[in-house]
Amino acid sequence: MDNKVTPARRKQVIRDNVAGWLFTFPSTLVLFAFTFLPAFIVVGLSLFDTNLVGQSDFVGLGNFRQMLTSGDFWGSVLRTLYFTLGSVPVAVAVSLLIAVLLNAKVRGRTFWRMGFFIPYITPLVATSIIWLYIFNPDYGMLNAALHFLGLPVSRWLTDTVSAMPAMILYSTWHDIGFAVIIFMAALSKVPTELLEAAQIDGASGWKTFWHVTWPMISPSTYFVVIIYTISAFKMFTQVAVLTQGGPVDATTTTGYYLYQQAFGQMHFGYASAVSIGLFVIIFLLTVLQRRVTGRKVFYG
Amino acid sequence: MRQSVFWNRVNRVLLYLGIAVLFILVVFPFYWMIVTSLQPQDAVFSVPPQLWPKHMTFQNYIDAWNSAPWLRYFGNTLFVAVAATLISLATSSLAAFAFACIDFRGKEVLFNLVLSVMMIPAATTLIPNFLIIRTLGWYDKFYALIIPFAASVFGIFLLRQYFMSMPKELWEAAQIDGASRLRYFRSIALPLAKPAIVTIAINSFLGSWTSFLWPTVMTQSQNKQLIEVALNAFLGEKGQQWSQLAAASVFTTIPIVILFFFVQRQFIEGIGGGGIKG
Repeated sequence: MDNKVTPARRKQVIRDNVAGWLFTFPSTLVLFAFTFLPAFIVVGLSLFDTNLVGQSDFVGLGNFRQMLTSGDFWGSVLRTLYFTLGSVPVAVAVSLLIAVLLNAKVRGRTFWRMGFFIPYITPLVATSIIWLYIFNPDYGMLNAALHFLGLPVSRWLTDTVSAMPAMILYSTWHDIGFAVIIFMAALSKVPTELLEAAQIDGASGWKTFWHVTWPMISPSTYFVVIIYTISAFKMFTQVAVLTQGGPVDATTTTGYYLYQQAFGQMHFGYASAVSIGLFVIIFLLTVLQRRVTGRKVFYG
Repeated sequence: MRQSVFWNRVNRVLLYLGIAVLFILVVFPFYWMIVTSLQPQDAVFSVPPQLWPKHMTFQNYIDAWNSAPWLRYFGNTLFVAVAATLISLATSSLAAFAFACIDFRGKEVLFNLVLSVMMIPAATTLIPNFLIIRTLGWYDKFYALIIPFAASVFGIFLLRQYFMSMPKELWEAAQIDGASRLRYFRSIALPLAKPAIVTIAINSFLGSWTSFLWPTVMTQSQNKQLIEVALNAFLGEKGQQWSQLAAASVFTTIPIVILFFFVQRQFIEGIGGGGIKG
């Protein structure tokens, strides 16, 4: 190795440094201005009672105290958990079923896959509109279908009890394609020798699935659960279009509550505290899921 | 043996039946959207609903189109989506190239800092961003819809992987041929990273086209509206005129669906990690 620093070498090092910083500068600037800087500002804002226009009073941790003792905040967290527990297991089960079926060497797989995937890329507002019509308690398609099948009908989005299940139904429909793709990718990576070995040992299809396939795809299952849970806490658009958080507060999830407090009530300081609460919840969920993942999951 | 062939057949039939039933359930809302958009307004209240329109009409499309400046909304959305996509492609590919191929002081620290952005959810930074956008004087301006999306951590990460996987000999050969770093980047590295670039472009474009919360908060005047915000306002205006609402939903969604048909393989493989064969 030549340890002498020749002028040419030094020139090269300087040029590398200049080029490196120059090339990364535009991205870094944008990320700094619209992600890092806001992350600090939100902490500052959370210490004030402010409407961002004129009034602004320092309240210390008052906003956090208010948040942690607010029935509305905890109600929104509970509703988000309700949404998560209602949607994630169903999404996992149905998308896995679809992926398993499509994985069975079916013809026209690309076509089927596209059909299952397409709701995921269509805009939430446009598809929410058609579901509003489908959910209509008086002349909607859903009640007509249930009536036709002899099943009980419901007021869906206009009733405090059935509004959240309707929200879950819509969101699961919209988002399921993502999980289908993840599971299809995971299933295609399960070695066929393992499945064949299980079959030769006389295991039934069901047993093979539970003892071979399910453990093998568990990293993907956890990934889907994490992504869907986090997106539940960020959920906003479908609530804004389908129910505006109602009836009463039945579909006011934490993401929507945050928006209401900030841009509806102009409680920007308090809403900043809620933003931080939301960040903590999402962060803890990620850590928790990763820890669970680390212990039980088979990483191929 | 014959029996097992028989049961195999039955299994295949059940398999296709299961797929078809699930498929119809998932695709039905789109069918219903189109059927509703072609029905006269009075037909949408019929009980039970008609699965096939008795009278077909395009009048809803004409009425819906004429009730709002949709052309402007499309123009706004297209402009914002294309601008954000192009700028973020430029910034992320440059940054990714530097992170992958150039040795500079503080590279590791900077890269980890960039990655840590992914831990901060957009919902957390919405309020301070509102403040920042107003302070910059960008409230109700297209800047507010473009510049904050002019960088992509996902893009930097993905392209960096691509650039790192390119053989060192390529760069050495280019140097021998007298190519500058920028020229190597432009004529060799970028073209080779095309699949990644397409994936990032689709993500960015879709993100802008379907954005709702951000433009709702950052814009106000009608001539700055993006398509989804405008569609929600249209819903507020039209209440229960489902056939016109369905027509507007169809024509605002169609560009996305067309785009998706062209890039679906690339897009789906991007999500599945390239593990799927169609």
